[in-house]
Amino acid sequence: MASDSSPPRFNYGASSPDDSYSSPIPNTMSSPSPGPRRGRRRSRSSTPVPNPSRFAATPSPAPMAATPSSSSEYGYDAGSSDQMYVWGTNISVQEVNAAILRFLRNFREGNVAADSLEEGKYMKELDRVLELEREWMDVDAADLYDYDQDLYNKMVRYPLEVLAIFEIVLMDIASSRNPLYEKHVQVRVFNLRNSTSMRMLNPSDIEKMVSLKGMIIRCSSIIPEIREAVFRCLVCGHYSDPVRVERGRIGEPTRCMKEECAAKDSMQLVHNRCSFTDKQIVRLQETPDEIPEGGTPHTVSLLMHDKLVDAGKPGDRVEITGVYRAMSIRVTPIHRTVKSLFKTFIDCLHIKKTSKSRMQTDDPVEVDNGFNRIEEDGTFDEAMVKKLKELSKQPDIYDRLTRSLAPNIWELEDVKRGLLCQLFGGNAVRLISGASFRGDINILLVGDPGTSKSQLLHYIHKLSPRGIYTSGRGSSAVGLTAYVTKDPETGETVLESGALVLSDKGICCIDEFDKMSDSARSMLHEVMEQQTVSVAKAGIIASLNARTSVLACANPSGSRYNPRLSVIDNIHLPPTLLSRFDLIYLILDKPDEQMDRRLAKHIVALHSEDPESMQQDVLDLHILTTYISYARKHIQPTLSDEAAEELTRGYVELRKRGNFPGSSKKVITATPRQIESLIRLSEALARIRFSESVEKHDVVEAFRLLEVAMQQSATDHSTGTIDMDLITTGVSASERMRRDNLASATRNIIMEKLQIGGPSMRLLEVLEELKKQTSVGEVHMSALRNAVGTLATEGIVVLQGDSLKRV
Amino acid sequence: MVGKPYDCLANPLGAVRYSFENAVAFGADPSSLNGKDWGAVDLFRNTLLDQGSLSKVPVLSARNVGLLQPNMLVRFRGMIQDMLGNEFYAGAFKDGSLWRTNKYVDVSQYLMGSSPDMLIWERHLFYCVPIPGLNSWAEESTDVAISQPMGSTPEPREKRPRDENEAMREMDESLETSPGSKRMRNDSHPSHSQMEEAAALSTCGAGALPKTEADSFSCLVKIYDNSDSELRLNDVFEFVGVLTFGSECQADNDETMDGFSGELSVHMPPGKVPRLHCIIHRKLAVHDFVHGLPMEPKPQLIKEVRQSLLAHLTAILGNDTVAAHFVLLHLLSKVHARIEDFAVGKLSLNLTCFNKERASTFGNFLCSTVKELLPFTHKMLVTIDYLNKASFAPKKDYERNRLMTGVLQLPESSHVVIDETQLEAGTLNSDGVQNARLLTSLTEFQKLEYDFKYYKMDVVADVQLLILSEGKSNIMPADLVVPFRPSSEAAGGAVLAEALKAWRWYLVTVRSLPHSIDPDLQKVVENDLVYARQSKRSLTSQDFSRWLTMGRLVSLSLGETSLSLEHWQTVKELERLRGERLG
Repeated sequence: MASDSSPPRFNYGASSPDDSYSSPIPNTMSSPSPGPRRGRRRSRSSTPVPNPSRFAATPSPAPMAATPSSSSEYGYDAGSSDQMYVWGTNISVQEVNAAILRFLRNFREGNVAADSLEEGKYMKELDRVLELEREWMDVDAADLYDYDQDLYNKMVRYPLEVLAIFEIVLMDIASSRNPLYEKHVQVRVFNLRNSTSMRMLNPSDIEKMVSLKGMIIRCSSIIPEIREAVFRCLVCGHYSDPVRVERGRIGEPTRCMKEECAAKDSMQLVHNRCSFTDKQIVRLQETPDEIPEGGTPHTVSLLMHDKLVDAGKPGDRVEITGVYRAMSIRVTPIHRTVKSLFKTFIDCLHIKKTSKSRMQTDDPVEVDNGFNRIEEDGTFDEAMVKKLKELSKQPDIYDRLTRSLAPNIWELEDVKRGLLCQLFGGNAVRLISGASFRGDINILLVGDPGTSKSQLLHYIHKLSPRGIYTSGRGSSAVGLTAYVTKDPETGETVLESGALVLSDKGICCIDEFDKMSDSARSMLHEVMEQQTVSVAKAGIIASLNARTSVLACANPSGSRYNPRLSVIDNIHLPPTLLSRFDLIYLILDKPDEQMDRRLAKHIVALHSEDPESMQQDVLDLHILTTYISYARKHIQPTLSDEAAEELTRGYVELRKRGNFPGSSKKVITATPRQIESLIRLSEALARIRFSESVEKHDVVEAFRLLEVAMQQSATDHSTGTIDMDLITTGVSASERMRRDNLASATRNIIMEKLQIGGPSMRLLEVLEELKKQTSVGEVHMSALRNAVGTLATEGIVVLQGDSLKRV
Repeated sequence: MVGKPYDCLANPLGAVRYSFENAVAFGADPSSLNGKDWGAVDLFRNTLLDQGSLSKVPVLSARNVGLLQPNMLVRFRGMIQDMLGNEFYAGAFKDGSLWRTNKYVDVSQYLMGSSPDMLIWERHLFYCVPIPGLNSWAEESTDVAISQPMGSTPEPREKRPRDENEAMREMDESLETSPGSKRMRNDSHPSHSQMEEAAALSTCGAGALPKTEADSFSCLVKIYDNSDSELRLNDVFEFVGVLTFGSECQADNDETMDGFSGELSVHMPPGKVPRLHCIIHRKLAVHDFVHGLPMEPKPQLIKEVRQSLLAHLTAILGNDTVAAHFVLLHLLSKVHARIEDFAVGKLSLNLTCFNKERASTFGNFLCSTVKELLPFTHKMLVTIDYLNKASFAPKKDYERNRLMTGVLQLPESSHVVIDETQLEAGTLNSDGVQNARLLTSLTEFQKLEYDFKYYKMDVVADVQLLILSEGKSNIMPADLVVPFRPSSEAAGGAVLAEALKAWRWYLVTVRSLPHSIDPDLQKVVENDLVYARQSKRSLTSQDFSRWLTMGRLVSLSLGETSLSLEHWQTVKELERLRGERLG
């Protein structure tokens, strides 16, 4: 029978130490060639020949021209009495073969009826491979597990053998579909169910399939590895047949094969007729979050072949799937005696880059754009998701999360709630018309020194996805946005991202916001509403995404907050910028005995011998980050009708508060920006509950949060009401009214006392006059100057030095 | 020992082999022995610890490494400087019909064919260095030990090395950075000039933490049967095990791995870095380094010792009693708990009003006194140049796959004196800024950021920091800032060896006492804090924390385990005096 699927000789022996010295993994071989073939049914009980290794066992599936294909061709027909087993196990080669075939043929995604006419997922995939002439096919281990757990287990336990069979089956199918397909198709398995920690690798994992997460720290240069060697006789010039690598070594022919010549020791390697493959050694290190306290990161070497070479760069975080191998160390290359030591490495099958942030907000960047597999994200395994969902069901989850946020900073409950909303974020909306509404919530903390603002900032920075932390004093405009530099290596001008661009989809924490230079601050206008950074520098004109939430904190200009002045006067920020913050919190250090007592209690408890007792019921950092990232990724709440109604009603009511009955005075208590903020806040609140719809109570809470923040920052101290003008213009309505009054009073005086072109009048005199009038109240010189300035623009008076002239 | 078929001291491997064969003979399945002990450790534990022959085991040190034989039992006290992961080796194999083990050796003692019955076991590698800053008085004496095991197996070579060793020791002694210490211990009446000499010497070595020859010595410790979770970075351990100089083959660079030359044998030639196959290890704490005088901590005795130590400190500080009190509290401080980012119990001290002149007199006296009192001490002379050039935090070198140490990689309970008096105006480069930042975070959080190139990792530390500066230190925001007001010349006075021993014992013992605050007193303290804050708004939680830490230390210093009202009053009084000085 011409079936050519010469199965590997499965003399598998993990215990023979010297066997691993040969060429690397079989299924990474790319150039198939008609190698020496073994009889197909011989391996069963063959004594463990000092191992030709499973590499030699590499299936060398030749392009089997014109092999008529039917399932029985590679079916090892059941009648055949001698079953083959993987050496040392009771795994039947035939059974595995059949199982793989079933899997490839029949696996379909979703709940498609088994007898559906549609082709299986992997058959389609194979067609695509053939079409694109690719050399590999990705196989999702989760699919395999779903379809056949037994096969999955066998593959993980005996990856070399099972993968070899897998490829044989694949090649058989391939050749049946396209008899002329010459490339060898490798199987690349990924997405194992269990990802091992590097620390946990131990001798029992040797020769098993493992999946690891880590960070690439070093890549070797690319090493050409010989696959086939061609020799030439120095005497007669005869070229030998290609000699394949066997066990990492090439058997140099001792004599010329040409019968007429047959010269001894005359063969010489011809380099440019040999075939080589790429090989690379990569060192992978544990990611920082896996390192236990008091440990240093472990590393492991990876062996990459062919397409995997240079798939990752140092610094990349990757998840790899491969086979863990141990290799004995020879004392000398020639001697057969081996040391008792082993070197371990992982033969890499598949590499997947994961994003760098702790909270994954982006889809992981795939190395190769294989087929649909981006849906799954390794970070949320089922158990975790279940746990998170259970957590979200708890009625007090909102409070619990608030408690867990920076637990060592006590009080500031409402600020923490606001920050929590910022972490969860609202929904960004992009209308078809092109208009977009940001979903990011910006928060400004203003407060007295020593009120742990910076600590809060640091904490959020640690927690947030792609958090960037900068200090206003040390940041320049270009440092925040983008700058153009010359690449030191190529000399080209390149655009380097600044902090705001780097924190795209994250939170940019800016400390000492008030100390920032004006030019740097003005850059923030665009970022905070349009969410882009536009650059036009040195021939580069670009608009970069900066979908970032800004968390800033500022100290009042006079070191302590002066409650008699407005926020704007206190922190010297332009109102235009201030109005872009959804929430502005004033953290004031008010003498409050209750709070002091709590602080004292906290510190005493901290220092008394039992620190555990004071640990409240809080979630640890890891759970918190996963919770947040899961919510950000999977929960996209929408407004329910009831909530929308409440929102409108609440907004109208808020606006109404500005109208005082019987008074023409109109105070703006809310602006359309507030209603956007409210929507964002209520969406974030729904996300906290893992709820897909925004309920009425979310909106109510959002109003409360907004009001708390506004009450602190936008309260007009002379009237005690909220006045958005304080934030949008820096001047409250009552203040403005006072100014108007003053201006009209001044005008009256001027009209009375001065003639057009007549003698001038000193300002002090005007002030005296004003003070006589009771309606204006206390008047300061500076206020008067302002009023006169207004009148001057009206063209009534001219101010020369200290004297007024009517014109 | 007669009649035993093995000798743990002279032939440790024989004993291992014996116990292994015994275990197999009694039916243990070799394949189940991975990561388990078959009785060998008990055997050694029994001989060394219970029968007290540990002291007969020679101590491995830079001085005698050339004299020790491979495969002998040695002990080594060191700090884990780096962890090199694990290593797989052929743990057990069948030689004919007999099971053999390769545990505790580098190279198999028997010819290993490619036997099919071979079990792969693992062991963990730790790169250990002698304890940084270990003072000479706390060192384990090596001389007794080295002759003992040799005596049992007489060799012709034996005599000469010992003489050599003696000679070397003498030389070392004279080169010791502080000869005063030795003399003080030996003749117990050091003169004033000797003290000064010691002080002067320690200044010339300053600038960098002392890096003598001995410090470049290191040892690769291989730990068996233990998950590495109980051994942590920067821990100080005593390892007892088999010494080898590893014949790790030179022809290591085989075809597969030639991408990296960073293999062990290249950067750690076995000749320079001996291997120690550890059989027993135990974690050492500070009190393991204070020898002699195992006294009962009687309250009366403790108070007496405290009095005399305080008197000594006062004398050294030119009759500044307040400063002496604070120094004493500072010497007793340690991080006893961590809650979130906050290290509870730290008490770094910044003595201000130190100019160059005072630093060279009072500062040096203080340094040498601290050196005499605590086992691990350092002095760091901070200058612009030093900040720019030194590497403070450990840094991972991926070329060599090693964590390169930094001057601040220190074991628990290290004491560092930081002399800022020579700091002048200048420009810091990026390294300098980074180093200054490291110092700041070390003072604030007792954490040091290790540099792993692609990311940084915070590693907790417990280092007592004493800062001498002219004004309040800007780099290091210490918990306590005390202006120094001496009223007389520094007077060291004669220190009796006995007194020194008592003080060391006192510091070590009192420091580790438990402490608690009664609920009643908690109320009092709380009220006091609230009252204080009502009257002075600028008080922060840091101030309160400092008060409570001081309260704890005041009661500990008197040998008492719970805070009393009297101690609390003392704290308030001390703070008042300090506040007066700060003006």
